[in-house]
Amino acid sequence: MIKITNESFDLETELKNVSSDTNGAYSFFLGTVRSDLSSSNKKIKGIYLECYEELALVQLKKIRSKALNNWKLNECLIIHRIGKLDLGEKIVLVITASSHRANAIKACEFVIDSLKVDVAFWKFHLLDNDEKETVLQKNLDNVKMLKWKDIIN
Amino acid sequence: MNITLKYFSWIRVKLKKSHDLIEFNQTISFKELKNNLISKDAIYQEIFEDKSVKFFLNLKEIDDENQTLNNGDILAFLPPVTGG
Repeated sequence: MIKITNESFDLETELKNVSSDTNGAYSFFLGTVRSDLSSSNKKIKGIYLECYEELALVQLKKIRSKALNNWKLNECLIIHRIGKLDLGEKIVLVITASSHRANAIKACEFVIDSLKVDVAFWKFHLLDNDEKETVLQKNLDNVKMLKWKDIIN
Repeated sequence: MNITLKYFSWIRVKLKKSHDLIEFNQTISFKELKNNLISKDAIYQEIFEDKSVKFFLNLKEIDDENQTLNNGDILAFLPPVTGG
């Protein structure tokens, strides 16, 4: 299941959506809006998430398919929020389900690492006076992604 | 023929618009479109010189500047992504 939404989600409900008695393990990643400083050292009030939805859905389907195939998952759920989010709000949820924990954990890490560098979402910091600051991609995220190149075709 | 241009993140902010609909009398290549846009507005020079910006034509990344654009095509300008 893949969802791009401007509404929040409930963890227990989403877990039920992927639950099955064939699963012996679930791995979760939940990303939230943290209190952060802008490039000019101002405290942010929240974030705004922009998305090219048609492209993001295609990219997320590819990532999900790779995760399902490489780690023999029973299910993989990805939800990503868009729009204005306050501090502490949920941004992204990944749940991977498999027979054994190792596959679920690895696949979950792969999905979120891929999502960081390969899917058409852009963050802005929200500052006072309705000011928005573009968040730049971290090189560390690209470096992390390199480790999957030998594992995923 | 008509081509829709879609702008995202800092490109959208800099151009102060999220999209454009442009008309041409004949089929053109991506390279010709690029030169056309640069001649109209210097901001495009900065965009096209930035090697981190990717261009997607109808949801597929452009890997050849000579690729032909057709009526109804959608060309998206994508800075490095920052989701998750």
